[in-house]
Order: sequence, then structure tokens, then C-alpha cells
Amino acid sequence: MHLRTLLGLSLLVAAAQAQRNPALTGEPLTGALPEVNPFETQADIQQGAALFQTHCTYCHGSQGQGGRGADLTAGEYRMGGSDRDLFITIRNGVPGSEMPSFRVSDEELWKLVGYVKRLGSRGLLEQAPGDAAAGKALYAKNGCAGCHKIGKDGGELGPALTDVGRRRGLAFLEESLLKPDAVVANAFRAIQVVLKSGQTVTGIWLNEDDLSVQLREISGNLRSILKENVREIRRNKPSLMPSYEGRLNQTELSNVVAYLNSLKGTR
Amino acid sequence: MKTHSVLAPAALLAAAWSLCGQGLPISSDRLLKAADEPGNWLMYSHTYNSWRFSNLNQITAANAKNLHVKWLFQGRHIEKFETTPLVVNGIMYLTRPENAIYALDAATGRQLWMYEYRNPPRTFNCCGKVNRGLAILDNTLFMNTLDMHVVAVDARSGHELWKTEMFDYTEAGGYAAPGAPLVVKDKLIVGMAGGERGVSGFLDAYDTKTGQRVWRFHTIPQPGEANFGTWAGESWKTGGVTTWNNGSYDPETNTLFWGTSNPWPDYNDDFRAGDNLYSCSVLALDPDTGKLKWHYQFTPHDLHDWDSTQVPILLDTQFRGETRKALAWANRNGFYYLLDRTTGKFLMAKAMVKQTWAKGFDDSGRPEVIPGNEPTPEGNDHVWPGVDGGANWMSHSYSPLTKLLYVFAREEHRRFSKNEVPHPTTEVSITTSQAPATMAQANAGAYDPAIGGAISRAIGTPEESWGKVIAIDPGTGSIKWEHRVLTPPWGGVMATAGNLVFGGTLQGMIFALNATTGERLWAFSSNGPVFASPISYLANGKQLVSIAAGDMIVTFGLD
Repeated sequence: MHLRTLLGLSLLVAAAQAQRNPALTGEPLTGALPEVNPFETQADIQQGAALFQTHCTYCHGSQGQGGRGADLTAGEYRMGGSDRDLFITIRNGVPGSEMPSFRVSDEELWKLVGYVKRLGSRGLLEQAPGDAAAGKALYAKNGCAGCHKIGKDGGELGPALTDVGRRRGLAFLEESLLKPDAVVANAFRAIQVVLKSGQTVTGIWLNEDDLSVQLREISGNLRSILKENVREIRRNKPSLMPSYEGRLNQTELSNVVAYLNSLKGTR
Repeated sequence: MKTHSVLAPAALLAAAWSLCGQGLPISSDRLLKAADEPGNWLMYSHTYNSWRFSNLNQITAANAKNLHVKWLFQGRHIEKFETTPLVVNGIMYLTRPENAIYALDAATGRQLWMYEYRNPPRTFNCCGKVNRGLAILDNTLFMNTLDMHVVAVDARSGHELWKTEMFDYTEAGGYAAPGAPLVVKDKLIVGMAGGERGVSGFLDAYDTKTGQRVWRFHTIPQPGEANFGTWAGESWKTGGVTTWNNGSYDPETNTLFWGTSNPWPDYNDDFRAGDNLYSCSVLALDPDTGKLKWHYQFTPHDLHDWDSTQVPILLDTQFRGETRKALAWANRNGFYYLLDRTTGKFLMAKAMVKQTWAKGFDDSGRPEVIPGNEPTPEGNDHVWPGVDGGANWMSHSYSPLTKLLYVFAREEHRRFSKNEVPHPTTEVSITTSQAPATMAQANAGAYDPAIGGAISRAIGTPEESWGKVIAIDPGTGSIKWEHRVLTPPWGGVMATAGNLVFGGTLQGMIFALNATTGERLWAFSSNGPVFASPISYLANGKQLVSIAAGDMIVTFGLD
């Protein structure tokens, strides 16, 4: 194609794009989008919270706890967690999911991003009163690393805690120690499968349909069991973690929470 | 013998048709008699009474255990696959998300042609960029699009014949048309979606030859019309009440039946006092004029997004010792209903799943609502069924052989929350006639649809939230059997003359049940979630069953 024709066509396309409103037509976002949220004052966050209540709670729950949509309180984002990633995700929606594109102004969308980020980083806003160093010793003494990973060290039967102090608030951390069954992420839900042979298999629930159930045994082995061989599936103890209620006194509990709160990760 | 000799030509003709099904063109008369062409699947629900019943009986309760996969069609898309294919003379026509049409050899799944309608990058359907299927008349296929068009495509070539814009899809919070259209005589009946986006609902009829609109029925009464007063203030302008699924047609009374969606905002009724007609209703319309004959509202002043967009099922049944021309309806609100379809008179309703919101019905069929089921700012955990309902859009099926209605029902509950955020219509008046100013405001963020509340994930374990295929005696509402599955379903069912009920689960298990007992006779792990309803047809004289699962059409046969 002749260079002049190409240039003319490009100008035509550019002119046509300039006339369209990307918020309306869904044209792909181009270069000018900042990496960091330009609207992050406290007032901006509050406005973001109101926008969240209006537009997002239908699927993400009134506290961002999830429902039809993803849990936004876990601080983990499938489509990317940077300010810019979140902006693009909310603007464009998530293809292949029920997450639609949103038609609000850029400024409002940034405020929404600010609030959504807060939902998944509550730990950054809170200062734990306990002694983190003492809490670290208790963490080691109680063998928590058997199931939880910090950095590269630890087991995988429970959630990694590398940045739990950034993502989760103090109340959540304390509840997790005292009532571990209260909130259990889907990736760590435990079941007990009682076979017709009488054997009981305990592990992390991985998958299930009407014909079979799949789990990761505590040993780490993957196991698939046909339901025709199953007598009963017990789901009444969804967490493998023991409760530390009565096992830690109030000071010790406060210290462990302080240690967990100090784990901010590398992000 | 004489009788045999008289019947023989008809039987031969039927046998010739049944080898693969008669081909194009499809006359409106053939659509009226679609039940006589069991080898074909000529409309969304197979027949105008929407039984989704296949009269084929090669596959039976005795041999279903031998079913196996004959072919797969790979859609290679990521959106939910909600289509019901059509089959004409061994050719399958189906829609694939977002708005493509494929013609396949129904015996092998090999592609013959493909037509793709390109939507703008951003469209506004609430629950995925989905499409549920086609209608056909003469040699023409019809499809609705996510950007509110209707397109007509030549079934022989895949070439576009005409395209009509129903409405500006960017109005209010966004309109869409994900459902399958329905041909009635020479008209194409088309519904629309947007009930979560502050739209103003309607049902349209288009000339199948030209694409010109023939009539529009506003599902919210306009000023001066009957029942306009069932909406407080200005709420009628943005009240939702969409028509996003398929309907049914009774040629004997020339009546079109179509269900409507929830009023908007879903969970916040501060600005929409009143019954909010014709939300959550069935409409009985004259298909020639779009004039309303009667309506019945299942859920007056709905607060739970309990759309009544289920496909209406027309059947004659015994009710209290009399044969009634009835309308059977398994509703999202958890009740099974029986109406007289000639008058709309309420006959009976009975809960088919756990429900907490109605203690009964008066003689007119108005529910006696139990207080305490409303969405609340702190969240109400005590409402059954959940927002996705006891039944949803996926098809039910009626077998004239067992005289049972099969419903893939949902047992679950959710938390219903009401937002305290003021409703935007109080600040921004939205009407279709104010489009330019309104759109400017909308793009500036002054207006965007709010649901008026929130729902949370299903509460509880599989012991508290599950799915079940139920067989309902349509005249009494009593449940003859139930077959429980792990999770609440999003797929429909199809009964066959082989005494089978086919369906698929959210985990992708495709199954055949004994239609008399509910016993599972056969299952296949497709591992693709089923968001569609099955069909059955003939290819080369062999009965096949197809259903969309994941991004595939999975087709089963015996040999």
C-alpha cells in the first residue's frame, strides 16, 4: 500500500476514534493510562465506597466478600492487582465471566479502584498492639509452618501467609486463629470421605461432581474416589487447622496476630 | 386390512420424513405441526406448546446405558454456551457466543458454513455475552444480537438477508437481546434484556420478509394505559420488565404467551411502590396486533429478582375432575402454577422447592406475602429460594406419555441486601425521549444502573444447596419423584418417547433418567458446565441427542 494512502487511512481511523467515547463503545484503552491511581485521597476512597455499593455489591457482596463474583477481600486478583490492572478490569469487564464492563467516568473508576484496593489490603491500615517477635517464636513453637508457607518455607495444606499482614485486617487474623472454620477459602476446604469399605479419607477438597470427588490427602497425594464407593462425605469441619482458643492466652494471641500483621510480603 | 391400506401411505410418508426429517423450506404450517416432524427440531422448544418433548423412541430406558459420544463441535469460545440448536433434514443450525451462526452436518458435526455478526466491543447483557438460539421460517434463520439487532440469514448459504435495529443498545444502562426469537405465522417475535440496567421493557414483532417492525408491546404501561398507576412517580420510566427468554403460541386461540422479568431496581423499592405491572408476569397477547388479552402476575412488587421469564408450557390437564386448557409454569419464585390459558384464571399454585415468602394465595391468585423476606441493609439470610430461584430460564419439559412435567429445580438461598445508596432516577430523569442529554450524563458517570442491593454467595454446603429434577403432576402440583444432584442447575431438561429425561449439570455431567421413576440410567462426564437444554433429532435415520456443555456441542447416539 502507498505510504500516503496508509497515512491517510491512519488519520481517518484516528479521527473516527477521537469521536467515539471509549467508555461507551468499549474501544481498547490506549497508552495514556497512568500506572498509579491519581485519585486516592480519603475523600476519593469514600466516593469509591459509595460507587462500590451502587455498582458492585450485586455480585461482590456488600463488604466485597464475594458471591456471584470474586472475593475482593483476599487481596488476590486473577486479572492483575496493580492500580492500572484493576482499572482495566473494571472498565472492560472480564471476558468469559459475568463481570461486565462499567460505564462510569475515568475519575469515578479510579476512585472505585482505590476502594477495591483497600478491600484487599486492610492490614496496611492497622497497627497491631502485640509483640511481633514473641509472636514469631510462638508461630515456630506451635508448628504453624507445617501447613503454612512464608516466602519459600513451610507447608501447603493451608494458605500462604507471606503477605497476609497486608491483605487481612487484625480482626480477621484473630478470628482465623480462634475459629478457623469461620472463613475457609475454597482452595483449602477440607472434607472427610467415608468409603463403603469403612476407610475414611481426609484431605483438601479439589473437585466434585455427581459421579466422583477429588481431594489432596494430608500426605500430599492426589486422590479421586468414585461416589459409587462412598458411604458418606462429611463437610462439617471445613478447616484442617486446629482452633487456638484456650491454647493461647490473650497476650500470646495478640503477639501471634502482631507477627502475622508484620508479614507484608514483597509487593 | 382396509384400515392398514388407508394408513399405509401416511405411514410411509412419516417413515420417509423420519429417516432424516423433511428439508427446507419451513412453512408456517409446518411450524404449527412441528410435533409431526420428530426427526427435525424446528423451534427453540421443539413445538409451540413448548413441551420440549421428542417423539423419537430409538433410545429407550432399556438401551440408554449404551449411549456414547458420536461427535463434538468445538466452539472455541469462552462465554457460556446457552444455545438450543435447530435441526432440519440432517443439518444442525446453532448459535455460538457472541453472535455467530453455524450450519453443521448433524450426523458428523462437520461445518458447512458460518456467519458471524460482529458486536461492538462493549455490550451490556447482565450475565455474559450469551445467545440462546435461532428461529427459522422458509429458508431463513433469525437471530437476536447483544447490540439489539435482529438479523436474518439464508439457511442455505449463511448470507445475511436483512438486519434491523430494535433499539439503541446504549440507552439507559444498556439493552441487549440474548434470547432466541420465535416465528408465529409471518412474524418474528423478539424479546430483550436489561432488567438490571434501568431499561424500559418491550416485546416486538417483525415482518419476517422485510425486517420491518409490525408491533411493539410495552411491558410497562405507558401514560394513559391501563395499570399505569401500578408504578409510583417516575419509576415506570426505568422499571425494567424485560422479555429475555422464549415464548409459546396457542394456534387454537391465536394467543402468544411470554414471560416478563423483574422490576428495577431489583432490591430497593423505595421509588417504585405498587404492583409494578407487568413485571414478573405472563402476558397473553394477540400475535397479529400485539394487543394484550390478559395477564397474570406471579410476584407482585417483586423484591428478589424473581423473573418470570420461564418458557410457558401449554397443556390440557385434569384439574379437580375437569379437563382444562391450562398453562403450567414452574416459577423462579419457587412455586409451580396452573392457569387457565384461555382466560388467565388462576387455578392453583404449589411450592416445588423450599420457600419462605408466601403463605398461600387468594382466589384471584394473589400471593399472601409473609413479612420479613425483604432485602435489608444488613442483609437478610432467611429467604428461600435464592436470587436464582427455584427455576430459572432453562427449559422444562412435558411428556404426553407419562403426563408429567419435568423441571430441573434449584434448592438454595442467598443473602439479600438492600443498598442505602439513593436511587439515581431521583437525580437524573431517564427517558428514552431524552436520549442525547441523558447519554451525556450517563457517560459522565451521572447515571449508571444500580441494582439497589446485593446478594451473597449461596449459603451452606451441598447439604443445604442442591439441584433436583422433579416430575410434577401438572393438575395437582404434586411431585411424583425427584432426582437430586450436587449443585443447583443451569441446564434444562428434555423428555422423550423412549421414557427418558435428558439433562446436564453445572459440573458437566450429562444424564438420562427413567421418566417414570427418576432413576439415573446413564451419565457422561463432559466436564463442561451445562447452561443449555437438550434436543433430539434424526441423522441418517438414527436418533441423536445434543446438548451444549462447556464450549462444545456434545452429541450422543447408540451405534
